[in-house]
Amino acid sequence: MGVMEKLDELTSSDAREYLTFRLDQEEYGIDILKVQEIRGYEPPTRVANAPNFIKGVVNLRGTIVPIVDMRLKFSCSKAEYNSFTVVIILNLRNRIVGIVVDSVSDVMELPAESLKSAPDIDSVIDSAAVLGLGSLGDRMLILLDIERLMSAPDMGLVGTSD
Amino acid sequence: MSETHQDSGGGNGDFDLTQFYQIFFEEAGENLDLMEQMLLNLNLETADDEVLNGIFRCAHSVKGGAATFGFADVAELTHQMESLLDRLRRHELQPNSAMVDVLLESADASRSLLARHQAGGEGDALPTGDLVRRISELAAGNAPVVAPIPVTQPVRTQTVAVKPPPPASEPVNKSPRSLEIRIGPLERPEQADAVQELFRDIPGLGTISALPSDAKNTRVFMVETGSTDEDLLDLFAFHVSRDYIKISERADAASDSGNAAQAGTAIAEAGSPDDPPPGAPLAPLPGFGFFDGAPGAPVAVAENAPGEIKVAQKAPPRSPAASAAAQPEAATIRVAISKVDQLINLVGELVITQAMLAQNSRALDPAVYQQLLSGLADLDRNTRDLQESVMSIRMIPMSIVFSRFPRMLRDLASKLGKKVDFVTQGEATELDKGLVEKITDPLTHLVRNSCDHGVESPAERLAAGKSETGTITLSASHQGGSIVIEVRDDGKGMSRQKILSKARERGLDVSDQMSDADVWQLIFAPGFSTADVVTDVSGRGVGMDVVKRNIAALNGTVEIDSAEGYGMKVSVRLPLTLAIMDGMSVGVGGEVYILPLSSVVESFQVKADAVSTVGQGSQLVKVRDEYMPVIELEKIFQIPRFDFEKSCDIMVVVEADGSRVALLVDELLGQQQVVVKNLESNYRKVPNVSGATILGDGKVALILDTGALVRRSRH
Repeated sequence: MGVMEKLDELTSSDAREYLTFRLDQEEYGIDILKVQEIRGYEPPTRVANAPNFIKGVVNLRGTIVPIVDMRLKFSCSKAEYNSFTVVIILNLRNRIVGIVVDSVSDVMELPAESLKSAPDIDSVIDSAAVLGLGSLGDRMLILLDIERLMSAPDMGLVGTSD
Repeated sequence: MSETHQDSGGGNGDFDLTQFYQIFFEEAGENLDLMEQMLLNLNLETADDEVLNGIFRCAHSVKGGAATFGFADVAELTHQMESLLDRLRRHELQPNSAMVDVLLESADASRSLLARHQAGGEGDALPTGDLVRRISELAAGNAPVVAPIPVTQPVRTQTVAVKPPPPASEPVNKSPRSLEIRIGPLERPEQADAVQELFRDIPGLGTISALPSDAKNTRVFMVETGSTDEDLLDLFAFHVSRDYIKISERADAASDSGNAAQAGTAIAEAGSPDDPPPGAPLAPLPGFGFFDGAPGAPVAVAENAPGEIKVAQKAPPRSPAASAAAQPEAATIRVAISKVDQLINLVGELVITQAMLAQNSRALDPAVYQQLLSGLADLDRNTRDLQESVMSIRMIPMSIVFSRFPRMLRDLASKLGKKVDFVTQGEATELDKGLVEKITDPLTHLVRNSCDHGVESPAERLAAGKSETGTITLSASHQGGSIVIEVRDDGKGMSRQKILSKARERGLDVSDQMSDADVWQLIFAPGFSTADVVTDVSGRGVGMDVVKRNIAALNGTVEIDSAEGYGMKVSVRLPLTLAIMDGMSVGVGGEVYILPLSSVVESFQVKADAVSTVGQGSQLVKVRDEYMPVIELEKIFQIPRFDFEKSCDIMVVVEADGSRVALLVDELLGQQQVVVKNLESNYRKVPNVSGATILGDGKVALILDTGALVRRSRH
């Protein structure tokens, strides 16, 4: 039962597993427990009057799921859709949302002590949504609080309560 | 079902009755409902024989069942009702409103007693002694007393106490006797205490109370019962040997009129034999599906859990002319709601798969694939039928909700001293079970409001030149993809001035220039009330805001229309959730949108010169002498266009909210059934879109909200 032992290890230590993905030159990590599945990109149905980074909605086995292109959201220089483009389907508090990224790199375990808090910098990402920075050798990993990011009002994913 | 009762009544003693309890409760509930309806419709002056017979039969059926199953309190009460009704139908008495009142109250009391039995006999029984007395007084009434009609139905002696009502020649046994029972001397006097439980467990046996005993090893009880000494001794023998029991008459034995006998249970248990508790009229009407089991029985036929629905194949309402033997077949089955939902989801998926197959098979050569294609055609038909049947499981008619209001209004109107006619329309309109449950409370509130604030007192109405009796109309109808429920009254309406001044008092930002519709919306503000007097019915200002909130939670809207002096109309518009909808797919610039077929009026190819503009902006198209606003879907949905050769030249006329608009589209793609999916569960509300669906090729298409489109064109 190697898996179970590994799980036990995980819960006992502070280390958490992160799914890392690339947007242009940057590498990001999100809590793997929030990830439901990873799929190839298929053209969604456009929804009128939505911000440009919301590509539309797709049919995920009978469920209507909105698709957010993180590259457009984070103002990457280019956002191409090819056979390598992947969609990470997230399950956030019973809401399902898909994010488009350039590629998924790895699943890695990061002990809590290797996280460094992010300095206050001016960026398109709300600093509250950045959990911290992790270093992997010479690479920098930006750890995102994806739930916070996706439920922010400027994402336009959640309706205003009227 | 009455046959079943008789069968079991005559069957052998080991026959297990418990499996029929549930059926009895459901049927008794239906009978009481039917009786109540007939009583409310009863015309006192020209009482129809058929109606009177019908009411009699209802009471009779309930009594028969109750006696068979050993619910003596219910049997006794309904027996009294039956006696009164029997005299009415024989025209020995003239019906009057006092009788109707007492019969209605008795029906409520029976319901509450049955509910108690259904819940396993927990709690105090409702006192029925007063009702029994009132009925027998009325039955004795202004005609010579005739001997009470003997019970026609064979009554099974399930317990010793529940004797078949003895013939009138033995009145001694019927009257309650006050006895002193001395048990002892016993080694363990606690044994005698068990006797007290007997009286609690066996309905109709009577009442018992402990008296102070002179010796330590004896117990003395005071007992009021209609049973004979012999019966009591037999019964006590389970706990204490006969030899230790001494029964003697008490000196102050009260002998009541013979008829009040078996109601003994109730008389002593609660002191005030007054009206039924206030909750009673609003007791759940259909079938008491909320309690488990049966009295003293092991868990009954169906297991209950919150969130279950009753899947009922409702027999058509019996015409009063039908003979008593023609009982409706209560073929119902109780199923957990989650199972139904699962079924609906699966069928939804099946429909999508079927649509996909149909689409993919279109290109096939019919000559080569004849069998496959005919199989697919069958599949198409069967899926459609299956879908309809499955959906209909959850749909129940609005009459379930509406039927509770006549009674409520009658009570309320008489309490307020008003005269109100209640009219219902569109009771057959079907609505999802879940919605029906949630709409009941808001509707109740609106109807009460209409009665309390809307309809004036008879004097005021006459002074205003109206008829003395006000009318409250409740109507339901399907309009487009939604259901509209209206509560109308012809009362005094709302005063614009009053609302505005109240709003200013409360510091709300209002102006005299506000449109009527905006003014009426003010009454939805929390705590807003224009009532001069706060009554116990309404006027505290809690309510309308709750109504609005509840309906908004169902994605519905509330609209008010009112004219001072003429009345008021509240329209509740609810979307048909879960609906599988007939849709018409239209193409605009490479995108596909679905229009609810129910709102599509017609479509036609338009010539460029048929469209005229007003003020260089809005476009109008003339359709048979009518000018209609044109909505270009391309503009509203900012649809990118790559193929400039093609252009929109097809108009689809849609109707919603009573007005029409013409939608400009590229092409009509076809009609199909679509499963409406909620866009908001993972995304948010999109303007002019009511939902989404999945097309045969697996793509998502948005369903247009025609109501919103029409409203948009108005502004």
